Amino acid sequence: MMTALDPAKLSVADITSGFAAGEFSAREMVDAAFEVIEQRDKDIHAFLELTPELAYAKATELDEARAKGEPIGPLAAVPSGFKDNMNQVGTHTTCGSAMLESYVSPYDATCVANIIKAGGLPLGKLNMDEFAFGSSTETSYFGRTMNPWDLERVPGGSSGGSAAAVAGGLATITLGSDTGGSIRQPAAFCGVVGLKPTYGVVSRYGVVAFGSSLDQVGPFGKTVRDVASALNALSGRDPLDCTSQECTVDFTANLEEGVRGMKVGIIPSLTFAEGATPEVRQAVEEAARNLEGLGAELVEVDLPHVEASLAAYYVIGPAEAFSNLSRFDSIRYGHRAQGCADLVEQYERSRAEGFSTEARRRIMLGSYLLSADAYNTYYYPAQQVRTLITRDYVEAFKKVDVILLPTSPRTAFKFGEISDPTSMYLSDMFTVSINIAGNGGISLPTGPGVDTGLPTAVQLVGPQFGDDVILRAAAALETCYDIPRVAPMCARGGE
Amino acid sequence: MKTIQEVFRDWEAVIGLEVHTELTTLKTKMFCDCPIDFGAPPNTHTCPVCLGLPGALPVPNRAAIESIVLAGLATNCDIEKRSMFYRKTYMYPDMPKNFQTTQGPIAFCMRGGLDLTVSGQGSDERIDVEHAEDGSYTTHIGITRIHMEEDAGKMIHVGGTDGRIAGASYSLVDYNRAGTPLIELVTEPDLRTPEEARRFMQKLRQIFLAIGISDCSMEEGSMRCDGNISLRRRGSTGFGTKTELKNMNSFKALHDGLAYEICRQAEVLEQGGVIYQETRHFEPATKRTIVMRTKETAEDYRLFPEPDLAPYDLSDEFIERVRAKLPELPDAKSARYQDEFGLAAADAETLAGDPAWARFFEDAAAGSGHAVRIANLMINELAGQLKGGDIATCKVAPASLAELADLVDGDAISGKQAKEVLAEMLETGDGPAAIVERRGMKQVSDAGELEAIVEQLIADNPDKVEAYRNGKKGLTGFFVGQAMKATKGQGNPKVISQIVTRYLEG
Repeated sequence: MMTALDPAKLSVADITSGFAAGEFSAREMVDAAFEVIEQRDKDIHAFLELTPELAYAKATELDEARAKGEPIGPLAAVPSGFKDNMNQVGTHTTCGSAMLESYVSPYDATCVANIIKAGGLPLGKLNMDEFAFGSSTETSYFGRTMNPWDLERVPGGSSGGSAAAVAGGLATITLGSDTGGSIRQPAAFCGVVGLKPTYGVVSRYGVVAFGSSLDQVGPFGKTVRDVASALNALSGRDPLDCTSQECTVDFTANLEEGVRGMKVGIIPSLTFAEGATPEVRQAVEEAARNLEGLGAELVEVDLPHVEASLAAYYVIGPAEAFSNLSRFDSIRYGHRAQGCADLVEQYERSRAEGFSTEARRRIMLGSYLLSADAYNTYYYPAQQVRTLITRDYVEAFKKVDVILLPTSPRTAFKFGEISDPTSMYLSDMFTVSINIAGNGGISLPTGPGVDTGLPTAVQLVGPQFGDDVILRAAAALETCYDIPRVAPMCARGGE
Repeated sequence: MKTIQEVFRDWEAVIGLEVHTELTTLKTKMFCDCPIDFGAPPNTHTCPVCLGLPGALPVPNRAAIESIVLAGLATNCDIEKRSMFYRKTYMYPDMPKNFQTTQGPIAFCMRGGLDLTVSGQGSDERIDVEHAEDGSYTTHIGITRIHMEEDAGKMIHVGGTDGRIAGASYSLVDYNRAGTPLIELVTEPDLRTPEEARRFMQKLRQIFLAIGISDCSMEEGSMRCDGNISLRRRGSTGFGTKTELKNMNSFKALHDGLAYEICRQAEVLEQGGVIYQETRHFEPATKRTIVMRTKETAEDYRLFPEPDLAPYDLSDEFIERVRAKLPELPDAKSARYQDEFGLAAADAETLAGDPAWARFFEDAAAGSGHAVRIANLMINELAGQLKGGDIATCKVAPASLAELADLVDGDAISGKQAKEVLAEMLETGDGPAAIVERRGMKQVSDAGELEAIVEQLIADNPDKVEAYRNGKKGLTGFFVGQAMKATKGQGNPKVISQIVTRYLEG
């Protein structure tokens, strides 16, 4: 084992260029990655399933391609992992639920296939809140994932495993899905970069749906450039997802162009609303000053309807979830209750046993919200609010290029610290409006909080299909912070 | 129970139909690339999408959208340029996602209608409109909408008593049909008699066959029909409580089911009873309807816009491109057959109503001077002899049938001989001239030869001649028949009949 080969310290560019130059083989990279995982993941528990056969098979393919001088792909030999709601042939896709404990994927999600096609090494599947319902990964049926910065704390959620894997140095690129903040909030809690692209930039085919009109797949990485490289592999029209869009942008091309002359929107009324902790506000203020220092112009904008985001989100999200999850009926796959007298009992007991409390809560909520009596009182107005919020963003982006917001109202909390669902739902207060409007948002780490010492972060939001702009702004802002991306305790051999 | 004629003296029936048609002529399903193939072994045409596996997404089949637009244009509907798919929730093992993808308040096709001419049998069921001299009348049936949806899988319940899931020891599901594109046409409650319902359904089937969107088999279920029926006192304009009638899987069953249900409702109402809003099942064997389920409260399907499918926008160009594909429809074709070929209305309608028959007729009639005979041979002889076989692939070519018509009209063979020749044509594929030649068939029209035969018959049967002259005019048939026998069926019946009459009267 070459001690020099430490995936935790390498960026995507380091790995692809090192591999191309013959400094190491892809199989050696797989060896190194699984060695790190073996050492660290017993503490973090980011992975639900490891797939060494798949990783070594891909590595062999890459090594052979390189030997023959064939193309090796833009993510060649990059250790990668996938949230466990993403189908991948040869793996279980559990969605963190007892319902799908024994479900084996018969097909590949497009996002998974794209990362592997680009050369990514598939290390395994990553923990998540059950069916992505949560902001802490505590609702996973398969146990919690620890925040690599403080093992007593949650990694955020629902893509907690994906964020923790990058922060723990267990993988270089991981994929998550974001319905109301499920990429950006765990990225913030774990001090890594997480991007929710504009709805339609990345195919959702093969990703088990939560809220079909809100869900979007995106990458986690240590740096903005890593995330941009992954987005290049992920983006584009998929004939199997008719909501996906044509995309020919090279997201890494303009990362160094800076923010000089860029207009950055700030929303003091929102940022300083009740709920955000002082260290979070301070992180946003500091980021604003940094952007100004880099030559950007700060412009106050208003999103008058954004305060209704959470309310609309907790109507549309559960409604769609109720419908999407109704297929889990135990008939052809999934948990089946034993000894049922008839079909209705089989439905009821299988679903009662297979879904945990939070999933049952959202299913019942969605079922109510779509019922004939409630539809016009809740669902329809929520869609109207959605239109207003979308328009707010459209109007704001006539004045500015990006908008700066907090990602999460606070830094990572302790296990069990937030137990009532309503408080947990507030974790999404700065992220959900972007899903509602369909825009892209990126969470960028901004160093330890002044009060907790835990990772803080800010969020940059762009206009629809302006993902290249937020990546460019984030890349510029990133230069202002000299902070580790892999949690210090996980950096190999100590730092 | 009263007859329907008796019921209709006091009551008016208000009937609306919901017609489901599977788009069987499409190659692939509604939201995936799986082939549509009804004969295939169970569960061989499935994929993550039509099995509703976690993570799968629907992609609409553009050809199916084209089919429904074609159906809308052919039934005079407005085509909505923007419509949406919706999810309709219900849990049952034949529906893999536990919701059906269908359409919401705005369907692809809205506000259409067809004029319906009812003539002949059953036209007397309608008593409140003016009938023409021949007993026919014309009425307009509004079409509320035609929307697009996906079909469910097929279930077989094994064990138990009545083929239902309750009591079954186990159930089997075949998902080959799951996700097959289906269009549902909903009529306004404009139908007033079972005969009108039957004729409307026939007309719709003819139109859908003409535009080629389905094989429209009621027996195999690719075209299915539910009826909504209520009664009201003649002269009143309100609506009574309706029942929904299912399992009418033939035109006859549709007529008989509605007729029974109308009589049943009348009896209940006349005895002071109440009609419950319920779904009833037609039993063809007993010609009765029985309760399937009551609808005390409307089912809540939790209908909401399908978030995986964006609103569907149809461009003017698309609609016009589809319009250009509209073939000549049965009504226009029938009118043309009457004008161009001089066919009787009933024959023209029969041939125009089936694309394969219409094509055969037109091929045979082209350049022939005997189109009426061709139509006659097709409807009265070929239809029976084919026994439901496919006219397009049978061994008789249109040109051969035209030749046969020439032989009959040219008095070379009799109609009776034509029947035999046709049977042999179907069997062997030979042309009629060769068969006539081989069998030594020819029609004896020579008056002298026939006269000798008749003369002999008159002489041999003085008692029958006597009886005829005493008023038993029906005995003409005896002499004609005997003369035909004497000529081994080759005598020209028209000539024989003339001679027989002359001798008997003389």
